[in-house]
Amino acid sequence: MNNAENLLQNNQLAEQSKRQRLNQLLSRPDIWQAANEHRRQRSGIATGYSGLDALLAGRGWPRGATTELLVNQSGIGEFSLLLPALAAMTQREQMVVLVNPPYIPYAPALAAAGVRLEKLLILHPHGQKDALWATEQSLQSGCCGALLSWQGKQAPADKDLRRLQVAAREGDCIHFHFRPQSSAASPSPASLRLQLHSDGEQLAVQLLKQLGGQSGQRLHLARSPDLVRRDRPLH
Amino acid sequence: MLWLCIQFPKLPLEVLTRAQREAPQICAQAVVEQQLVVDANRTAAERGVEAGLTIATACALCAGLKLLSRDVQRETQMLQQLAQWGYSFTPVVSPQAAGSLDSGDDRFACLYLELSGCLKASGGLAPLLQQLRRELRQMRISHFMGLGHSPSAARMLSQLPEHRQWLRETQTPPTPQQWRQWISFSPSKLLDCDHKTIAKLYACGIKRVSQLLAIPLSEVGSRFGRGFVEYLARLNGTRHDPVPSYAPPPEFHSELFFPSPLDNSEQLLFPTGRLVRELYQQLQRRQLYSLQLRWKLDFGQLGCKVFGVELSRPMLDPQRLIALTKLQLERIQLEQPIQALSLTCDQLLPLEQGQLDDDLFGESSQLQRSHQLLDKLRARLGHQALSGVTLKESHLPEQAWQSADTLVLQSNRSAKGHQLQPVNAPRPAWLLPRPDRLQSREHKLFYRGEIQLLQGPERIDGYWWQHSRHARDYYIARGEEGSLYWVYQDLTSEDWYLHGLYA
Repeated sequence: MNNAENLLQNNQLAEQSKRQRLNQLLSRPDIWQAANEHRRQRSGIATGYSGLDALLAGRGWPRGATTELLVNQSGIGEFSLLLPALAAMTQREQMVVLVNPPYIPYAPALAAAGVRLEKLLILHPHGQKDALWATEQSLQSGCCGALLSWQGKQAPADKDLRRLQVAAREGDCIHFHFRPQSSAASPSPASLRLQLHSDGEQLAVQLLKQLGGQSGQRLHLARSPDLVRRDRPLH
Repeated sequence: MLWLCIQFPKLPLEVLTRAQREAPQICAQAVVEQQLVVDANRTAAERGVEAGLTIATACALCAGLKLLSRDVQRETQMLQQLAQWGYSFTPVVSPQAAGSLDSGDDRFACLYLELSGCLKASGGLAPLLQQLRRELRQMRISHFMGLGHSPSAARMLSQLPEHRQWLRETQTPPTPQQWRQWISFSPSKLLDCDHKTIAKLYACGIKRVSQLLAIPLSEVGSRFGRGFVEYLARLNGTRHDPVPSYAPPPEFHSELFFPSPLDNSEQLLFPTGRLVRELYQQLQRRQLYSLQLRWKLDFGQLGCKVFGVELSRPMLDPQRLIALTKLQLERIQLEQPIQALSLTCDQLLPLEQGQLDDDLFGESSQLQRSHQLLDKLRARLGHQALSGVTLKESHLPEQAWQSADTLVLQSNRSAKGHQLQPVNAPRPAWLLPRPDRLQSREHKLFYRGEIQLLQGPERIDGYWWQHSRHARDYYIARGEEGSLYWVYQDLTSEDWYLHGLYA
């Protein structure tokens, strides 16, 4: 009798621990459940563009992961794509780090977009080794909301990209990595890869890869009407 | 207890003239304060200039007299230096500044040293006194000394010529009997009290201390006051005679010597850790902190290398500091083998409550983590690699921002003072470090293909009152591939430039 009760209890316990383990497994960010697609919670950071949020698996920029932005030329609106999310982060007292930005981040424009400038840190390390080290340290530290890095002349090795992705997960920091479009063909551990180019008037975003979500969609985002409003030509 | 009192009678003069070479034909010099001569050098003294004369009288006595104004601050500094010098002989040192002229107090600056603990180490009383005299002579500080069982007694006896004579010849410290004899033998004008009391003593016919000691204490008390009785008790040794003890300025210096020189920076990690732990033990005991550490790698005869580690906030965690030092060491190329490693902290500051943001369970806050990150980045990348941006008030676009020190950034000084507002016009997110000249042909502009002006002009005209006038018409333009540019036409030269990108 006693033995049978024990057996029953043990079975129940085993059942419970199994379910627990299953739940743990299902809560992993890199497992995509097609069945649960409709009742998915927002787990990402809102991008500030509802059209883009709808395409992304976590309804926003994926947390604690690398997002690659493949872009060949500046001036098409690639930085303003991130600005709403960055502004929200600095307002939540999180640090935003820029590693090797190609130009001077212009303070009046950033302040106008709502970025709190005192939370912005700009790093200019010498050489790729120091740049990778600084990026990894900042990602790991756990005090940065986002880190933006621009690929230098030399493409980082696959091993380094993987390390940065792991560091971003450890520090729960969003890593935006700007790379040239030529690297679209090479595989990357990033959770999200976006190809950005301009179709003349608008910013065209193409999802090349998305962990836990669909990829291949295209999205056109209009530039700010303040910028593209055409005045009567003077000349 | 064996107290030595060293008096510096000529400190006001010597502080100012110590750097001069001693020559027989030196010009007459006198130190003055508030129109009175405080001190005069030998040439002047020979002509009759002495302390207490007015300037007019002194100049009348000695025509070529050079007047120097007294520098009390320098005297205090010198006395501190002397105290530090005395500290190398004995741990119990007390400096006493000279009396100020205002209060009619003409005591000399002096230094009390407690010698009973250091006789053995210095090889007895006579060699110790000899060494003290020799070093003071080398420093060119004139002095006279007295030995006593209490600071007050030592001070009084230093003024007694017979005692000083004895001190020059003695080999052993005096017995209590001898002290008592000297004290009772001294004239009562040597007592350390004001002129009024001394006049009163002489009026009573008390010329020697022995006469004073013969009177019952209660009688003395009723005539000269309670303070005087207490002074006598301290002089006698029947009462404690406390003097403020000198504490050396807080500093840390420690050095490790390597019998076989090291040629690998990884080998340095262990000695580094040891020095940092030594430092932190001391800091913790004394409740101090330091924000700057100076490391010195000594290559023996081949010179040395110095580098610093800076912290943005006080912390008492040796592990983190070792990690920061390690980052610096990794950057250093060792060209020569290292013979010694030393760690110096010049500024140790007292730790105040709440300054240390280590809580009991070692959980670090967001702010603390960001400070740690900044320290780490600064240690490896150097100061110049880190920056921030802030707004600046200016019409000129390139002057409307400035690079900020990251230290300022993190100190949470928001909502203080007036906040600068950015200009209310579309501005590009990227600014070019210097404007890029655009090609223009047949009323068309080219930058990676033809560009078209969308909006404008926005005229910015600044510094017209200066030579370098900045008169510009800004436009927003679109390139062939869809990029938006911020371009301007210089109104003076009519050239076109690219100034920013709407990224």
